[in-house]
Amino acid sequence: MSLYEFLGTVEVGLVFGLVALGAFLSFKVLDFPDLTVEGSFPLGAAVVAVLIMSFHWPPWAATLGAVAAGFLAGFVTAFLNVRFGILHILAGILVAIALYSINLRIMSGPNLPLLGAATVFTPLQGWGVPTYMLSPVLLAVVVLAVKIGLDLFLRTGIGIGMRAAGANPAMAAANGVDVGRMKLLGIGMANGLTAFAGALFAQIFGAADAYMGIGVIIIGLASVIVGMSILPTRTIVQATIACLFGALLYRFAVALALKADFLGLQASDVQLVTAVLVVLTLIGQRRRLGLAQLLGRRSS
Amino acid sequence: MILAEKIRVTFNKGTPLETVALRDVDLTVESGQFLTVIGSNGAGKSTALNVIAGTIRPDAGSIAFDDVDVTSWPTHRRARLVSRVFQDPKTGTCEDLTILENFALAQSRTRPRGLRSAIDKALRERAAERLRVLKLGLEDRLDDKIGLLSGGQRQAVSLLMATSGDTRLLLLDEHTAALDPKTADFVMTLTCDIVAALGLTTVMVTHSMAQALQYGDRTIMFHRGQIVFDVAGATRAAMGVADLLALFRHDQGEELSDDALLLG
Repeated sequence: MSLYEFLGTVEVGLVFGLVALGAFLSFKVLDFPDLTVEGSFPLGAAVVAVLIMSFHWPPWAATLGAVAAGFLAGFVTAFLNVRFGILHILAGILVAIALYSINLRIMSGPNLPLLGAATVFTPLQGWGVPTYMLSPVLLAVVVLAVKIGLDLFLRTGIGIGMRAAGANPAMAAANGVDVGRMKLLGIGMANGLTAFAGALFAQIFGAADAYMGIGVIIIGLASVIVGMSILPTRTIVQATIACLFGALLYRFAVALALKADFLGLQASDVQLVTAVLVVLTLIGQRRRLGLAQLLGRRSS
Repeated sequence: MILAEKIRVTFNKGTPLETVALRDVDLTVESGQFLTVIGSNGAGKSTALNVIAGTIRPDAGSIAFDDVDVTSWPTHRRARLVSRVFQDPKTGTCEDLTILENFALAQSRTRPRGLRSAIDKALRERAAERLRVLKLGLEDRLDDKIGLLSGGQRQAVSLLMATSGDTRLLLLDEHTAALDPKTADFVMTLTCDIVAALGLTTVMVTHSMAQALQYGDRTIMFHRGQIVFDVAGATRAAMGVADLLALFRHDQGEELSDDALLLG
């Protein structure tokens, strides 16, 4: 693997670290299997592309606009579940499907290139160092800032309420937590993070595409599951580190699998490799969990 | 004070499984009163408690706490005025949170939740001070996940959490039923101490007639969705489990056939 490829993999791994943090918030903290991200990832890309190309917004403002759009998408999913009692998975699928059409509308077509436009990575030019070396640094700073922000948030009064709402809704309600409201906020935030990732992804690759959301949910989930099964996750700080680490590790695993000629894989096999990876990790987790329970029973 | 008027609850309404759980029940619990509630399975005692807590919405009737009508309030809003200890220690505390975070959660019942760190020095000291009373050494384990504690320890912490805010009403839902006898005794003694010290208005649902008579100052019994007797004062003080059974037989013209009630 060349340095260029290595840094490119780090770049994408960091972007998907944001998706992993979102998946951590929805799947782990709120216990809400949210599939909206399949739509909110390309939504973030579409919104940032249109805001930059058609409305000439500054890149960071356009990226924030994408985050807001993602929050709204997640909010709608949670609202369908909380207000109308639609099954969470179904609510997410419905919103993701709707977003597919909405994204085509936003971009007035299946894709929108960011040709010649200034992006959040443009200021990195002209420092005498190639951009492909600086952009992973910028991404690392951004992603770490988001991670620390999320850690701090989950320790606030609202954050603890959100964690209780996910882990033990009856107890949370008895302690004055509005569980429905926490879902609206948390799923909104999770999709805001995913749209943020989509917006950055589009700016790295110079285009938004309506199809770029396919498999995003599984990549996010794979990152969370792989990371959390390798690293300790006793505290929130550790758990979010595990998510970011998982996202990077996943990217490298896929890159290496595709490069290993003896496996005979090609780029289009990515989704299959991901699915197999997730299944293997889940089976591994189950085994270990069973063993831990067995030991626990024996000692008590 | 808790004032419940003409409460009617029907489960599975409009289906072949339709059952009336509460039939126009009236109940007043005066401020500072410690009411114990008994009844066999399906008699309506837990339903009554859930109606007070807000987890079950009655089909008809009204509920007021200290002259505030809370009939339309959801559970989380009522939590500002009433706190609750569940039967299952796992339900009463959040195992993914630390002991201290559980206290922070309980404290926010009467204080607004914000974007400031939920845990500060003052909370740490308050929690440690309350935990010290238990003499279980939990004050030194504030940052341990509460899932690491035993059922009895968790139930004791749950009780402390429920009585750490400014709420004046306490609901106890068979909160010692899942514990071994010794731990149950410990939690029950703790309950009486706290209720007496804070002068809380308390409703305790129990499966045991002996416990219902031993603690508190008034006992009611639910049967088939209605309150079938209500004893307090000197009459109650002179009563044993046998007298309760006789009273039930006299009023209802039938034998009570729930072993748990008799043996518990």
